[in-house]
Amino acid sequence: MHGYAGRLLTVDLASGRVGSLEVPEAAQRSLIGGSGLGAWLFLHRSRPDVEPLSPENTLWILNGPLAGTGFPGSSRFTVCARSPLTGLWGEAAVGGNFGPALRQAGWDGIELAGAAPAPGILVIDGDRAELRDGSAYWGRDVYQCTQALKEELGAGFRVFCIGPAGENLVRFAAIANDGAHFAGRTGLGAVMGVKRLKAVVVRGSGQVPLADPPGFAAARQAALASCRDSMVARSFHELGTDAGMDLGLMTGDVPIRNWASGRDRDYASGLGGPALAEKYLVRTATCLHCPVGCKRVSAVREGPFATEEGPGPEYETCAAFGTLLENRNLAAVIKANELCNRLGLDTISCGGTIAFAMECRERGLLELDLAWGDMNGVLALLPKIAARQGLGDLLAEGSVRAAARLGGEAPEWAIAVKGLELPFHDPRAYHGMGLAYAYSSRGGCHNQHSAFPVEQGMVSWPELGLRDDWQGQSSVGKAAMVVLCENYGLLTNCLCQCHFVNFATRPSDLLSALNAATGLGLSLEQLLVCGERVWHLKRGLINLMGARDRDDRLPARLLEPLGEGGAAGSVPDLDLMKREYRGLRGLGEDGVAGAATLRRLGLGELAAKLIGG
Amino acid sequence: MAETMTVFSPEWIEEYKRQVRGSPSYKKAAAAWEGDLTLVVQTDGSAFPRDCYIYMDLWHGEARDLRLVSAEEGAKAKFVITGGYPRWKQVVKGELEPIKGMMQGKLKLRGNLAYVVRFLGAAKELVNCTTKVPTRFPDEA
Repeated sequence: MHGYAGRLLTVDLASGRVGSLEVPEAAQRSLIGGSGLGAWLFLHRSRPDVEPLSPENTLWILNGPLAGTGFPGSSRFTVCARSPLTGLWGEAAVGGNFGPALRQAGWDGIELAGAAPAPGILVIDGDRAELRDGSAYWGRDVYQCTQALKEELGAGFRVFCIGPAGENLVRFAAIANDGAHFAGRTGLGAVMGVKRLKAVVVRGSGQVPLADPPGFAAARQAALASCRDSMVARSFHELGTDAGMDLGLMTGDVPIRNWASGRDRDYASGLGGPALAEKYLVRTATCLHCPVGCKRVSAVREGPFATEEGPGPEYETCAAFGTLLENRNLAAVIKANELCNRLGLDTISCGGTIAFAMECRERGLLELDLAWGDMNGVLALLPKIAARQGLGDLLAEGSVRAAARLGGEAPEWAIAVKGLELPFHDPRAYHGMGLAYAYSSRGGCHNQHSAFPVEQGMVSWPELGLRDDWQGQSSVGKAAMVVLCENYGLLTNCLCQCHFVNFATRPSDLLSALNAATGLGLSLEQLLVCGERVWHLKRGLINLMGARDRDDRLPARLLEPLGEGGAAGSVPDLDLMKREYRGLRGLGEDGVAGAATLRRLGLGELAAKLIGG
Repeated sequence: MAETMTVFSPEWIEEYKRQVRGSPSYKKAAAAWEGDLTLVVQTDGSAFPRDCYIYMDLWHGEARDLRLVSAEEGAKAKFVITGGYPRWKQVVKGELEPIKGMMQGKLKLRGNLAYVVRFLGAAKELVNCTTKVPTRFPDEA
């Protein structure tokens, strides 16, 4: 089939043996690729009870069918395994250039099984792959390791490596592509760490065969034109993803003081996209094949928080180390971002866990010299988390595990769903987001669906049958909105497309490109059924791992109204939305889908494992 | 009940100016704003008779000038927001927030985005002022 390589590189890290695994065309046709294919591989080639921090936890690095084609936003790729942070399905998508290079080397992905006896580096150069000694790189931070590998291997190699946090099995460790793009969520850097795999590097130069080159060129031009005409694209280009901070503070989207306050205190002027652009921006940057260019390269030139030039910070990091901790000093945020990048830490979970620790300290549950807004204390704590030193060892477990160890009221202050610290969009301002958090298979997440841009009115996709005038602080009709947004948004992760580029383009642009690249000949309705199938596959996986309806919840704090701010007085009606949602998804009251639903979607094997028969 | 005025007519603009000048919320939110803005209402003639250009000279929370101008004069403003009559009608009715409208491509902004983003609260207050003008829409009975 065009578009796909049709095979994965397999690596047994224990022996260093490499091989090839043919991917069934039916799996690609029905699940598209990326994390959809990853879930299928997990179902068939791993076990739901596999210990996340063990060599047996197979890790997949996968790209999508548009990788290497030059379609706007197609440079992303995904990493999948059982999550050390949540104990459930783990996946993290990341931009950059590694995915296209892997496809141009002739692979749809890599399967990493077992663990190396000593630190290793996997080097892929087109068809050839070998596991090399990586001892010289072990212990180096992300920037150092990336630079050293590029110097040693030469031009054209793309690096995907972990930092000290991954080596030390921090449960929210990230993996970095060329030191600038981070697969942060669900702690898959620790899975690489337990495998003693410091880095994967790839070089590829092949062409991706297309089913319909003229049709693909037309789809690409249409998508580029959509991006050129898009205000969302323009705002991301000019202000980065932090463009949303100012508006988010107005609407109550941005959490403050561990989600306990709505009091703005003029954070926008200090932490928003315009402030970043005016004070610290060195230049804009971009993933491969991206016309939007939302990435920032920033630097703090002097003062106590001086940094080198480096990538970021993104909106999520500005909230994580800004409003969430009651810090208004953007220079300190940039310094924290630099440290997290070097150490290989997911900034969302890290900021969420530190906010949890600050609240526990305030309430007398934790002995820690770390008051709200104390960024010197935060900066001192980050290396300890990455090294698992002292109190850092507790916080390296993530907020939910740390809370369980502290006991008492501590679990109330861990703001997470299914063990994953929430990204920084408050469901009291956007009720549908709360439902989407509750049902995201990888835990509370804003990128397993498209509810975020739809509910906030950033996009208008009438061809999906979606309204574009939702009231954020209403729960009415949100279950149907979230189901459709999941079915579409999950496809973005299967295609390994950038969500932000998708905000700026039409679903028909994406469909035309997919069909022209692969020859799949799907209608939009059929494509959305693929999204529905992937949702049920991932849901079935977490059911097999033990998740049930009781886990589809929001932290109690988010069901209490704030007294001030843009979302004052508003709370989502989660019970109402869940009832409607279960009906639309065909879930029983236990949160498990019926066999008929799974079989209708061609998931009979999952049904047999989940329900029997 | 106050007598209604045809939307975007000279008397409607006059009343809108009065509302903006009398709004303490706008004064506060726009205290640091410097620059003029033109709202361009485009029409195909079916629902609204002709294109119009609403020029607003805004400075440190004051509406120094607010009037209908020619296309040429309107185009000289530091910021220009353009949209079809049906979209502006939604804005005046409070059914479309201008920021959402711009993100969804229903309204187009020309000018420094970073500057505008700093004054989202002021934009909201300008819209609030339109909803206080007793308005009649020519395409509605």
